[in-house]
Amino acid sequence: MIATVDAATILGARGHPVTVEVHIAKGLPGFVMLGLPDESCREARDRVRAAVMSSGFPWPEKKITVNLAPPHYRKAGSGLDIAIAIGILVACEVVPVDAVRGLAFAGELGLDGTVRRVPGIAPMVGVRPDHDWVVPADAVAEARVVGTGMIRPVERLDQLVEALTGAARWPTFDEAPSVFVEPELNDLADVKGQPLARLALEVAAAGGHHVLFVGPPGSGKTMLARRLTGLLPDLDRDMALQSTMVHSAAGVALPAGGLLTRPPFRSPHHTSSLGSVVGGGSHQMRPGEISLAHGGVLFLDEMGQFAPSVLDGLREALEEGCVMVGRVEQLRVPMPARFQLIGATNPCPCGGNGTLSDCACDERSRTRYSQRLSGPLLDRFDLRVAVHRPDVTDLLGGAPGESTADVAARVARARRAAVMRSGGLNAELDENGLNEYAPLDDQAERRIRDEIERGRLTGRGYHRVRRVARTIADLAGGSDRAIQEGDIAAALAMRARVGLSAVGSAT
Amino acid sequence: MSAAVLGTIVGLGVLSPARLKVLLAHHDAVDALERLRSGDLLHPMVSRGLPAGRLDALRAAARVASVDQMADALDRCGVGVHGLHDASYPAALVHDPEAPAALFVRGDLGALESRRVGIIGTRHASAAGRATASELGSVLAGEGVAVVSGLARGIDAAAHRGVRARGGPGRPIAVVGSGPDRHYPKQNAELWEWVAAEGALISEWPPGVEPDAWRFPQRNRILAALSEVVVVVESRERGGSLITARLAADRGIEVMAVPGSPRSRASLGTNQLLVDGVAPVTSAADVLMMLGLDHRREGSVPFDPRPQPDEVQRAVLAVCEGEPSNLDMIVSATGFVVMDAALAAARLEREGWLIEAGGWFEPTGSRLCP
Repeated sequence: MIATVDAATILGARGHPVTVEVHIAKGLPGFVMLGLPDESCREARDRVRAAVMSSGFPWPEKKITVNLAPPHYRKAGSGLDIAIAIGILVACEVVPVDAVRGLAFAGELGLDGTVRRVPGIAPMVGVRPDHDWVVPADAVAEARVVGTGMIRPVERLDQLVEALTGAARWPTFDEAPSVFVEPELNDLADVKGQPLARLALEVAAAGGHHVLFVGPPGSGKTMLARRLTGLLPDLDRDMALQSTMVHSAAGVALPAGGLLTRPPFRSPHHTSSLGSVVGGGSHQMRPGEISLAHGGVLFLDEMGQFAPSVLDGLREALEEGCVMVGRVEQLRVPMPARFQLIGATNPCPCGGNGTLSDCACDERSRTRYSQRLSGPLLDRFDLRVAVHRPDVTDLLGGAPGESTADVAARVARARRAAVMRSGGLNAELDENGLNEYAPLDDQAERRIRDEIERGRLTGRGYHRVRRVARTIADLAGGSDRAIQEGDIAAALAMRARVGLSAVGSAT
Repeated sequence: MSAAVLGTIVGLGVLSPARLKVLLAHHDAVDALERLRSGDLLHPMVSRGLPAGRLDALRAAARVASVDQMADALDRCGVGVHGLHDASYPAALVHDPEAPAALFVRGDLGALESRRVGIIGTRHASAAGRATASELGSVLAGEGVAVVSGLARGIDAAAHRGVRARGGPGRPIAVVGSGPDRHYPKQNAELWEWVAAEGALISEWPPGVEPDAWRFPQRNRILAALSEVVVVVESRERGGSLITARLAADRGIEVMAVPGSPRSRASLGTNQLLVDGVAPVTSAADVLMMLGLDHRREGSVPFDPRPQPDEVQRAVLAVCEGEPSNLDMIVSATGFVVMDAALAAARLEREGWLIEAGGWFEPTGSRLCP
C-alpha cells in the first residue's frame, strides 16, 4: 500500500515543499528512509514508531519505505515526524486517503504521541500557503500569520487521527490575543545629557544611516544603541512577514500574535563565530544574527574585537541586503539581511576618556587599534559619533531628555518626507541622488569647500556628510529646503575617528 | 655637475660620515671619484686603518655608481647639495667637529638664519606629550622661531604640526635620517612635503638612501648642532632623544626638558634630565627666555584681525575657555541646539578663536602662552 503526504522543510530562512511517500509491503520487517534525511531527520524512524504505538495504533510489522521527495537536497530536523506518522497510518489504512488530501503537516512527535513545536513553522506554511495545515498547537499563531488555508492545531497524535477519521471534530484552542503591544523598555528619556549622541540616534533612525559610537567604557554606547529600535517605525507588512519567517526558521521566540511587528534588535557577542553571525551551518543553513536583524538593528559592541572574517562577512550583507550561504552539493540559499548597523568601539586600546591627558596609549598601539576596523567597513558608517562620559551634573540632577515617543514622531515625519522626495531613506542616496535631493545653500557650500581645502574632508567623507546633513535638515522640518550651514556643521561634528591621536591628525 | 659627483660619493654607502669627511678634505669630489674608479692612490689618511676589503668594496661601488642618475635624482627631488667647503654650507655646522661632508637640502637653507629651537622626544609619545610639543611648536613659530625636529613619529611630528597650525612666521627645519626623498615614517609624508616647501629639509644622505636604523643616531648630532636650544618634551629612560640631548650638551647647546608625571613612562627620561640639572620648560615663555627673546609686547594691545564673535559664539567661547570642551559639553552648558552650537564652534575654529583636535575645542590662547 502506498501513501503520499505533503509537508515542508526549512533551508535557510525559506521553506521547501517536501512530499513524504510511504510504501508498505510484505517482506522482512524494517524501516528505511530515503531522500537525504540528515541525522536528526533519520531519528524520526524510532520516534514515529514509538509515538504511533503509544497512541494505540497498530505498527505494521512489514517492510516500510519512506521517501522524502524531492531527494536532491538534505532534509534536516524533526518537523517531518507527523507527516511520516500519518503517511504510515494512511498506508496501513487506519486513516483514509481522502482525509489527507489538501492537508500538510508540520511538527515533531514525542515518544508518547505528543505533538511538539519545531523551528520554522511560518516558512513551512508559507511555502504551501493554499494547503490546510496541521501544526503543533503552540505554533498556531505564527502559522496563521502566513497561511491562507485552514490552520489545524493539534496537541497529540491520537487527537489528530480522530479528527482525520471523522471520529471527533478538530480540536480548538483558545488563542492568545493577537494584538499585544510590548511595552518599550528602553526609553530615550533615560539618556541624560549627551546631546550629540542623542541627535545621532535620531538622525540614524530618520535617515537609515549606520552609526559607529566611539567612546570610553561607561559612556553609554550600549544604552544608546538599545534605544534605536524604539525610534524606528513599525515594520511594514512585507518586512514583518520576512522577519517573522527568519525568526521562525531560527527558532527564536516570536511575539504572542505570531507576527513580528517591531524592528528586531540583535547584539551578538564579539566572540561569535562566522556561522552564527552570517548564517549557515552544515545542513539546515540556519539564519545568522544578521538575518535575525533583518528589518531592525544589528549592534556590534566592541566592534574591533570581532574576528576579521566576521566583519568581512558583514560587508556583503550591507551591500546586497541579503547573504548567500552555500555548501558544496547543496542549494545556495539566499537569506534576507537588510539591517541597520550600530557599531561601538573604544577610542583607543586603553579606553581612555579621549581627553588629551587621560590616554596612556602611544601612537603605534592606537594605529594598530584603528586598523582592526577595515577601511571599507568604516566607510559604511555615515555617522561616527564620539560619546563621552556624561557630565556629573547631567547624571545626577539633569532633567530627563526627550522621550522616545516624541522623538519617534519626528523621525516618522522625516522618514515620510524622505520617501516622498526620493523614494527611499537618505542613507540610500548616491551621488546623483545627492545632487538632486540634497542641494547646498551658498554658506553650506562654502563650509564644505573650506573643509576639503584644509584636507579635513575627503571625497567620500563629503558624500557622507551631505547625506547626514540632509537628514538633519529633514528632522528640523526643512525637508523641502536646501541644506544650510548649521546642518553641515552638525554633520561634520558627527565624524569621530578611531585610534588616531588627538593632536594634529586632521584628515 | 660637481654636486652630482659629491652626491654619488656620499651615496656609495661604504664609508662612515667621518671617513667621508677625510676623503673629501683631501680630494675634491671629482678627483676623488676619478681616483676611486681608476684605482689610483688616495691620500694615506683616507685608507689608514681601513680594512682592505672595504676599500675594494668602495672602489667597486664607485665603478658602478652613475653620476648621471644622481644628477637626475637631485634634479627630480629639487635637492640642493652643500659641501663642507662651499660658502653655502650652514655656519652653525661648519665648525662642528662632526660636521657632515655634505648636506642634501630640500627647501631653503635661509630658514637657518632665524632663531632655532630643537623640539625632540620619543616616538612613543603620550597624547599629552604630543599636545605639549604641538603647542610649543605653535607658540615658537608665532614668535618667529624656527623649530628644528626630526620628523619622526610622536613628538617630532607633533611639534611640526604645531608650527603648521600656526602658519608662521617661524619656519620648520627638519633633519632626517634617510635620503630627503624617502618619507619615513610614511604617515608623515605630507608633513615632509610641507617642511620642504615652507622651510628646510636637511639630510646628510643623498636621495634614494634608505632609512636604516643606524642613521638615526647619526642625524641627531646634526639636529643638535643646528639648534640653539634643545627641548626634550618626552623621553623614555633610554632613547634617541637622550642621545641628542647629550650631543647638544657636548656642544655647549642649552638643553631643556618638559617635566612629566613620574608615573608616565614617556616622561622617565625627561624627568631624569631635570634631576641632572637641565632647565625645566613649564611654558613656551621659558624657552623664549632662554633664547633671550622678550616675547611680551609692551604698550598698546596688538591689532586682532579676527572677526569679533557674535553672541552665540561668545557663549561657546566662554565654555571652551574654562576647559577644553567637546560639543556635548558645549551644548549642555549653553543649552543651544546641536546645529547652532556646532555651527558656532566651527566658525570660531575657522576664524582662529578655537583650536579643534579630535573633537575637543580649546582657545587658541593656549595655557603655554601667557
